[in-house]
Amino acid sequence: MKRLFVVAFIAGLAAMLLAATLWPLPSHVRSRSLTSVPPDGGRQEDFIIHWPEDRIARPGEAASGLPPIAAVGAAVLEDSAGRRVSAEMFRVRDTEDNVIGVASRLAGTGGAIADPRRSASNWLIVIPSRGALFLAQGDARDTTVRGQVTSNGNLALAPAQAATFWTDQSRIRVTAAAPGVSGSATTGKVLRGTSEFAGLSGTFTETWNLEEVGADGSTRGRILLSTLTAAGT
Amino acid sequence: MRVAVGVLGLLLGLLAGAILILMNPVAWFRGLPPLPADLAPAKAYRWDEYRGIETGMADLLGLGRRTPGVALMDPALANVRIGIIVLPAGEGMPAALAVKISAIAEENSLWRAQLGTHDYWSIFWPGEGSVFAASYSNYWNIARDAFFASLRAGNWQSMAPVYPVSAPSPVADAAGVTGASGRYAGFTGEIRELLYPAARGPDWSIAIKANPPPVTRP
Repeated sequence: MKRLFVVAFIAGLAAMLLAATLWPLPSHVRSRSLTSVPPDGGRQEDFIIHWPEDRIARPGEAASGLPPIAAVGAAVLEDSAGRRVSAEMFRVRDTEDNVIGVASRLAGTGGAIADPRRSASNWLIVIPSRGALFLAQGDARDTTVRGQVTSNGNLALAPAQAATFWTDQSRIRVTAAAPGVSGSATTGKVLRGTSEFAGLSGTFTETWNLEEVGADGSTRGRILLSTLTAAGT
Repeated sequence: MRVAVGVLGLLLGLLAGAILILMNPVAWFRGLPPLPADLAPAKAYRWDEYRGIETGMADLLGLGRRTPGVALMDPALANVRIGIIVLPAGEGMPAALAVKISAIAEENSLWRAQLGTHDYWSIFWPGEGSVFAASYSNYWNIARDAFFASLRAGNWQSMAPVYPVSAPSPVADAAGVTGASGRYAGFTGEIRELLYPAARGPDWSIAIKANPPPVTRP
């Protein structure tokens, strides 16, 4: 009986140690990296976001019943001096339209951040299977989401989601063409990456493309983040 | 009787194996030292409004369930958590708006006492500037203490009120703070996070120490 106990004990111990070795810990689904090498060198990769469907709503936040300009999954923080910061969350796709990660866009105005009537913005792109990219830029205009108190509570309003924003154009380059005067932000910079993106830096541009205007004044479109990076630059 | 003895031996063997693994001495040396409170005051925050996984033990072990309305259903985002956070004002700093994204680390290893997430921050202070930060949070010590608390019939009082979860990243050069805009452009530094597992108030706090870039003479 004692021998049976010892054998069973050792079997249990071994089973647990074996389980610790072979246990399938979570891994991330990975899509093929769609990168290209431009003639002048470097590594180009484009990331695409469709609005409004790629916005990540907060839990319990309903997308229906809101005005067309309302941005789900967004928040606005504004101080008494009118200096504003907004945050938005998105799914990120590759150029073959596969969802490969998530991204946040934080934009701010005023003070040490950007010139008047402009904003500076940061993109944090996280592709779970590959790592993260940190992107910062001065914007050609104020791209912050605005906050408004309504009878339905606080709403975040994204001007680009309204048809009135797109009066005479269907494509806007958001990245400033030249560095700001008073703000420290420059044109689009890939500041840093982690994991597979570690050691990469370079430039990027953000472009908004209008694709459809709805009868209710809402819009659908595409945000294109085009990165050009190289190791050790 | 023989069956009962065999089952008892097996169960005790499994328990002893679990204790052996959880008592991995490596875990005691994996933490990062805290940042000086006068240089990097901790900002408490709540992270209960998020999308994606809960980052509990079940999620870290791949046993978590997808909560409808909270989980991100895209296959590539199955092990990701994202949320908007407001960091409070204080110590001469205004309140900040931030987005924190956590992804379960593929480098996790039960033998190396690593059970954690890669965490990424984008933080913006109105009118001041912005930074990015990346870190690795290891939940091993929480898992260990929760296991022993459950052995003591759920005596959760035995768990520490706060856990410093920041640990060296299993990926080289992945952690750190990178200044992005405004006053913090070019800054570099470090980040630490604390988790309060049984908190009724703030359940996390973050401390960031960042220094300006070195002055170069023309």
